[in-house]
Amino acid sequence: MIESFREAFGRALVELGKENEKIVVVDADVKSSTKTVYFERAFPERFVQVGISEQDMVSTAAGLAIAGKIPVVSAFAAFLMRAWEQIRNTVARDNLNVKLIPTHSGFSDHMDGSSHQCLEDIALMRVLPNMTVVVPADAPSVPVLLKEVVEHEGPVYMRLGRDHAPRVYERPELELGRASVLREGSDVLLVANGVMVSVALEVAKALEERNVEAGVIDMHTVKPLDEKTLVRMARKVNTVITMEEHSVYGGLGGAVAEVLSERLPRRVIRIGTTDFGRSSRDYFALLKRYGLTADAVVRRIEGVI
Amino acid sequence: MSEVVKPQGKLMAMLSPVSNFHLESSETCLSILAAVLRRKGEKDVVILSKGHSAPAFYVMLHEMGLLSDEELYSFADIDGLPSHVMRGLPFIEVSSGSLGQGLSVANGIALAKRIDGEEGRIYVILGDGELDEGQVWEAAMTAAHHRLENVIAIVDRNYFQLTGKTEEILNKEPIAEKWRAFGWEVIEVPNREEEIEKALERAEEIKGRPKVVIVRWEG
Repeated sequence: MIESFREAFGRALVELGKENEKIVVVDADVKSSTKTVYFERAFPERFVQVGISEQDMVSTAAGLAIAGKIPVVSAFAAFLMRAWEQIRNTVARDNLNVKLIPTHSGFSDHMDGSSHQCLEDIALMRVLPNMTVVVPADAPSVPVLLKEVVEHEGPVYMRLGRDHAPRVYERPELELGRASVLREGSDVLLVANGVMVSVALEVAKALEERNVEAGVIDMHTVKPLDEKTLVRMARKVNTVITMEEHSVYGGLGGAVAEVLSERLPRRVIRIGTTDFGRSSRDYFALLKRYGLTADAVVRRIEGVI
Repeated sequence: MSEVVKPQGKLMAMLSPVSNFHLESSETCLSILAAVLRRKGEKDVVILSKGHSAPAFYVMLHEMGLLSDEELYSFADIDGLPSHVMRGLPFIEVSSGSLGQGLSVANGIALAKRIDGEEGRIYVILGDGELDEGQVWEAAMTAAHHRLENVIAIVDRNYFQLTGKTEEILNKEPIAEKWRAFGWEVIEVPNREEEIEKALERAEEIKGRPKVVIVRWEG
């Protein structure tokens, strides 16, 4: 089943808004794209419009957090990054309780091309002290993790795609900072997040037919990384494959490689991007071009094990 | 020493070991901070958006008996007072040091107060050089659009920014007209404590829109 990340987010935000009156949503004129428009309709008095100004949006959210609110900031991931310095110097430095929840990350904004596709955000956010970084795998994960994100005290970046969210979980039981082990395997370990979790499961099936047992981890929390689970699962294998709809520099692959190189040296193959995206009418054509489909990953793995 | 040395003297004494770190910007900010801190009520918030005037702020804290001599002269030392104001210091709700963000933060606090039906003014002290930052004008639009009458910006119009005279670096004038065009009420005063305080008082009588006090240095 294919669902939509942003629809799941918009709906989950309304549900949380009913339970928690502290939630205030700030928008930079993308509410119909990010689906925070549902929150505006339900709670107009807790919805703040600042116009097309992401930097003002982030710092306004900082003020709301200082005054005791739980501000949720949503925008296209690529354009939220223009407020990186505001996120660094005000939100993260003061450890403010601001929730940054971008949509349209990775290649998911396929039609709009390289300006709108965001393949660097995890690296940029992961490097910030105090910042928690979360990448849900599918639509059912979104409300579960969003609740955790809102209840967590401190800044969080939760990265969402746009509409393509293949179902991974029926009833996810997810906890911030605790990796979700989807499959045990002693030949190779696949560590993925976001849409790539569903791809990793396909890859594991394809490898099974070739008598290769692949473990699969949904590493939905990139920071703080669940090192314990990672090391436990990596101990069984010689090769760890990371899969992300993001640059291989500084993202999940970087995080996994950093931990394993210190704690349990293993060969780490990072699957992700090294270039900017491009416009495409079809999202899958992009995944294929950048080597992020199951077939491409299987070929890559066959080449290294 | 606090009994005899005037604020300007304290500033110079604390800044001489650190190559006069933002001495001028702090000097022109002393009267503004003095007026704002005297006017500030319990529910009010002060944001020093021009965070490099931290020395002036510390001198004020010292005047108020909130900092010891030893603390004052620990300025910018490794475990001493931070060179730009940080959250956690008395009256400081938000760290600064990066220019252009304070007004947006003030708007956020004002919006939260509105949602909660709470009172309280939010004073934001901006540098004139800081007005180069586009975010200031984004925030100016947001405050006017939402009619944030509790937001009072104060521009320290001292005609200097980091590398020279403001008008040589990037023309600022007409500052008053700019704020007016953005939907703000503007009050202009010379940089004297009692004049600034009167302007803050006048600003409170104006309802329905944000206010800016432009404080012109005549030194």
